[in-house]
Amino acid sequence: MEERGGCAGGFRKDTVDRLLRLHFRDGRTRVNADAQLLMAELLKVFVRAAARAARQAQAEDLNKVDTEQLEKVLPQLLLDF
Amino acid sequence: MAAAPPRPAPRAGREAPGREIVRAAMAAAGGEQQQQMLTQRLKAAVHYTVGCLCQEVEEDKDVQFSKQSIAAISEITFRQCEIFAKDLEMFARHAKRTTVTTEDVKLLARRSSSLLKYITQKSEELASSNMEQKEKKRKKSSAAKGERTPGEQEAAMTENEDSNMA
Repeated sequence: MEERGGCAGGFRKDTVDRLLRLHFRDGRTRVNADAQLLMAELLKVFVRAAARAARQAQAEDLNKVDTEQLEKVLPQLLLDF
Repeated sequence: MAAAPPRPAPRAGREAPGREIVRAAMAAAGGEQQQQMLTQRLKAAVHYTVGCLCQEVEEDKDVQFSKQSIAAISEITFRQCEIFAKDLEMFARHAKRTTVTTEDVKLLARRSSSLLKYITQKSEELASSNMEQKEKKRKKSSAAKGERTPGEQEAAMTENEDSNMA
C-alpha cells in the first residue's frame, strides 16, 4: 500500500452521493457531479470546524481533545450550518 | 363425534430453521438487510475520512483527539448528512427539479457568511475548471477533423525528410 504521509484529505465523490441518496424521500432525486464535489467540500469544512472548535474549547493546558470539549462547541457548530 | 385427526407436532430442529431461512430471504429481498449493510458501510467510510481530517488537525495544532471524540464527530457528521440531504431535496423540488445542483448546495451554506463565501468560491473554481475541460475537448475534436496542430505538422515534415534519405 502506498504511504502518502496520511490518507485522502477529503470525502470521496461517490461516498457523498450515496450518503445523500440514503436520505432522499423521492427515489428519482439525483445529485449532479458538481454538486457532489461541492458537498464533499462542505462536509470537509464541517468536520474541520468541529475538530478545530473542540481544540479551542480547551481552556486548560491539556493537549487531548475529548467529548467534553466537543459538547461545548456543538451548539454553535450546528447553528453555523 | 368425529375426533379431529391429531396434527403432527412441528419437528423441532428440522422445520424451524427452514422457516427462519425463508423469513430471512424475504427480508433480504425486501432490501431491509441490504439497507442496513449500506448504512454500516457508509458510516465506516465517513469514520475513515473523519479520522483522516482529524489527523490533519492533530498535526497542525499539535493535539491529540481521543477515539471517542473522533467517533462522536463521525456520528455527528453522518447525522448532519441526513439533514443536508432532506434540505437539498426540498430546495431542488422547490425549483421544480429532480436533480440537486450547486445552487442548492450554496443555499445550504447560507447561515454563515464566511462559509457561504468559501462555498461560492469553490463553486466558481469548479465552474472554471469545467470550462477548461470543455475547451480542451473542443480543441481535440477540431484537431481530429483535419486541422493539424503545429506539433503534427512538424512530425509530417520530418517523415518527408527521412524518405528522401533512402
